[in-house]
Amino acid sequence: MSSLAQIQQHVLQAVLADTVTAPGALKGDDRATAGTRLAIYHHAYRARLREALAIEYPGLALMAGKSFATLAAGYIEAHPSGHYNIRWHGAGLAAFLDYGLPWRERPALGDMARLDWAISTVFDAVDEPALLAQDLASLAPEDWATLQLHPQDKLQILVTPYNVAAFRKAADLGQARPRLRRHRQPVSLLIWRDGMEVRYRALDTDELAVLEAAIAGANFTELCDRLGQFHGQEQAPARMVQLLQGWLAGGLLRTHT
Amino acid sequence: MTTHDHGKYLPYLGFGLGLRVEHYETLLQDAGHVEWLEIISENYMVPGGRPLAWLEKFRERFPLVMHGVSLSIGSTDPLDEGYLQRLAALARHIEPQWVSDHLCWTGAHGVNLHDLMPMPYTEEAIAHVVERVQRVQDALGRRILLENVSSYITYAQSQLTEWEFLAEIAERADCLILLDINNIHVSAHNHGFSPLDYLAGIPGKRVQQFHLAGHEHGDQLLIDTHDAPVIGPVWDLYEEAVRRFGPVSTMIERDDHIPPLAELMTELEHARKLALPLLKAAA
Repeated sequence: MSSLAQIQQHVLQAVLADTVTAPGALKGDDRATAGTRLAIYHHAYRARLREALAIEYPGLALMAGKSFATLAAGYIEAHPSGHYNIRWHGAGLAAFLDYGLPWRERPALGDMARLDWAISTVFDAVDEPALLAQDLASLAPEDWATLQLHPQDKLQILVTPYNVAAFRKAADLGQARPRLRRHRQPVSLLIWRDGMEVRYRALDTDELAVLEAAIAGANFTELCDRLGQFHGQEQAPARMVQLLQGWLAGGLLRTHT
Repeated sequence: MTTHDHGKYLPYLGFGLGLRVEHYETLLQDAGHVEWLEIISENYMVPGGRPLAWLEKFRERFPLVMHGVSLSIGSTDPLDEGYLQRLAALARHIEPQWVSDHLCWTGAHGVNLHDLMPMPYTEEAIAHVVERVQRVQDALGRRILLENVSSYITYAQSQLTEWEFLAEIAERADCLILLDINNIHVSAHNHGFSPLDYLAGIPGKRVQQFHLAGHEHGDQLLIDTHDAPVIGPVWDLYEEAVRRFGPVSTMIERDDHIPPLAELMTELEHARKLALPLLKAAA
């Protein structure tokens, strides 16, 4: 190993260490000891990562409250950052909360982190031209049966029994911490982007079924058949039209290229 | 105006600001006398969405330069080819006036410290950085600017002054220099050297850009926070730099505690009022 590589290794290890101990590669002077000087970097590393986590995880910060600082410190110690963009250091936080003690005893935290992270990644995901109502207006009646709808690739669906969306909303609006609730049935949250706006909302059971079918490549007839299992074949087309209008208005569908 | 007289063949842009999200809307409504903008490269090295949509608007209105924080030109880890490809793609897309990053290392052994770690000022480090700058310049198809960082630690192995180190790298790699005047002031205090000696040791023909910023007083050392107004001694040093280096594109760089745009415009106007008479007198 080169001398430069050794120096960088020693300084890196000193910054990552629990306590501040200056390696022999560093020296102090009358103004400040090597330890005092190193301590600035030691502190800054943790402060920067903690700040980045708070920015990426506002819902989690609100839900965890005072515990967030401990949670963030634990994650930072367990996971040195490996990506050039500080934001991506937080990519593993949900898994850390799912499996690490004591956080795994509060499973709402992991789900909260997943919603925050989904919002973060959808925010600057690739742009996909939205399918517009007028794109379908010119469709011949006989073509509707085999029409395939293409939900945007970047949408995410998160299933959780907790009211995590309420926490995120409160955090974004600067409102007070909501009360944590556990629903009797898990809720499916859809996270997508409407133009430049990230949106999220709960999906009804039938909408979840047809959205997943559309993602899998089902055509319009098959989507109506899927809805028929919920509403009967007679009511299915009307419900399908209702859903389609909502998807178009929300920019959820992309043009097929 | 171009800086052909400096042999740099890059334009002189006048007085600009670092582009920050907090000022997006205000800047598009009324840019005042802001002549150009510096973007943080990594903020726009993303697949799509709002950051790139905003960037398009600014690109139509202002000359842009790209300023990165993650090149880690001094690290002994291999250059991050994925990073370099994204950086090159962004540069191809927005066609900035120039691209800059810092003379530092940000991590090693796959760990990123997200800090601008100073280099030991050694011949070995010079050779290492020069070779990497040349590879980056080849990948980008243009010369880059390297910025001096604020530093707190001192390496026992350093054999050169910081300015000798920077000047030697710039000459051997044939790259340009972004001088952060605040960082010179901070490091001069922290390491006990003369900021004027620093300026005197920098090859003027390679200085393409100035940063102006503020800092904090720690117990024993100055801490570069870039979160406060420029202080008097830094303005004095800026005047000396203008006398020495002539017309160099200058900007206020605020990274935290972002104030209203008007406050930064006032600081920028102060820079202009200090520099223009000196430039006129020298002309």
